[in-house]
Amino acid sequence: MEKLKIGGLKQSLELCQFDLRGLDSSEEIASKVSKLLLAQKINMEFLTFYPQRNNYHQLTFCISQDKFSATSEILRKEGSLPIGWEINSSEQAGIITIFPHQSAIMILGVIMSSWAAQSIPIYGIATSLSAISFVTDYKLLDKATKVIQDLFQMPEDHAPLKPEIRYQQSDIVKED
Amino acid sequence: METIAVYWEPRIKTYGFQRIPDLALIEFSCPLSNIKSLGEIFSQDHLEIFRPKFIIAQESAHKISFIFCLPNKEGKDFHATLKKTSSSTTEKYIYPVGIIFFHGPHFGDRYGIADATFSTLSKAGIKIIASGCSSASVFLVLAQHDIDKAEEVLSETFEVAK
Repeated sequence: MEKLKIGGLKQSLELCQFDLRGLDSSEEIASKVSKLLLAQKINMEFLTFYPQRNNYHQLTFCISQDKFSATSEILRKEGSLPIGWEINSSEQAGIITIFPHQSAIMILGVIMSSWAAQSIPIYGIATSLSAISFVTDYKLLDKATKVIQDLFQMPEDHAPLKPEIRYQQSDIVKED
Repeated sequence: METIAVYWEPRIKTYGFQRIPDLALIEFSCPLSNIKSLGEIFSQDHLEIFRPKFIIAQESAHKISFIFCLPNKEGKDFHATLKKTSSSTTEKYIYPVGIIFFHGPHFGDRYGIADATFSTLSKAGIKIIASGCSSASVFLVLAQHDIDKAEEVLSETFEVAK
């Protein structure tokens, strides 16, 4: 059977994940948490937010692994989150981003079923205009990548899977 | 590994705002133990006709919840397809919603983008129905009637690169 074509895939560096859940509150949680992290210059590399689930809000985000302790401390500090909000976290997470040409549902389905068969978890998914990102266990990133490489046809001149350059936000203001 | 610093912009530059109006949002969930069978359903050829404009999934309480946004006609058909399966439970169908999305240089690597987005919408009193940020993109699902206002206020916060 002909393999489904994809444009490529990319692995993230080592990340960690936080899931914040709680009841509807007068505070805008996405705004509040992003402000707390901004104050510590912490970037959210992946984020999903859904405040509609039976009045339960869920904000899930991934940040660089070396910011795990600092972020845990910020979020657990009294007053950071509305009363009753629950914090779950994974110290290690990684993202595989796939650049499909089309057929997002097919790609999603194939990955969900084949990763499940190999006991590779999915902790989160988000799409952009041309890509699908899957959050999984960082330790299983290479295994998860191998499953994808076996299932899909990738371009022969594919770029490296692992990032070779790290971009960081500088404090220096760029004037036009 | 080489590290490259990106300058802090007094006003964050974006490549521009794009909209997708008149969509239906479908929320459905499945137990983590059923994820393989739901994946097999999604892999079927006849589902290729569905082209979701937005997908996010979140895990909680041994379940994975999906939020799909599709054009309304596709949304109804997709909803009907889901109802025939035993692997998932449809939780919500919201219509009409719209998406506003934008991306910018190294958005995925820079702090401050999420805060600029969410604080701007919060100050304008615009409620977010769903959001997904990955790679260098920010996707916001809003009530259809909030899209104009959202673009207006976000355009004041972000600078559209010429």
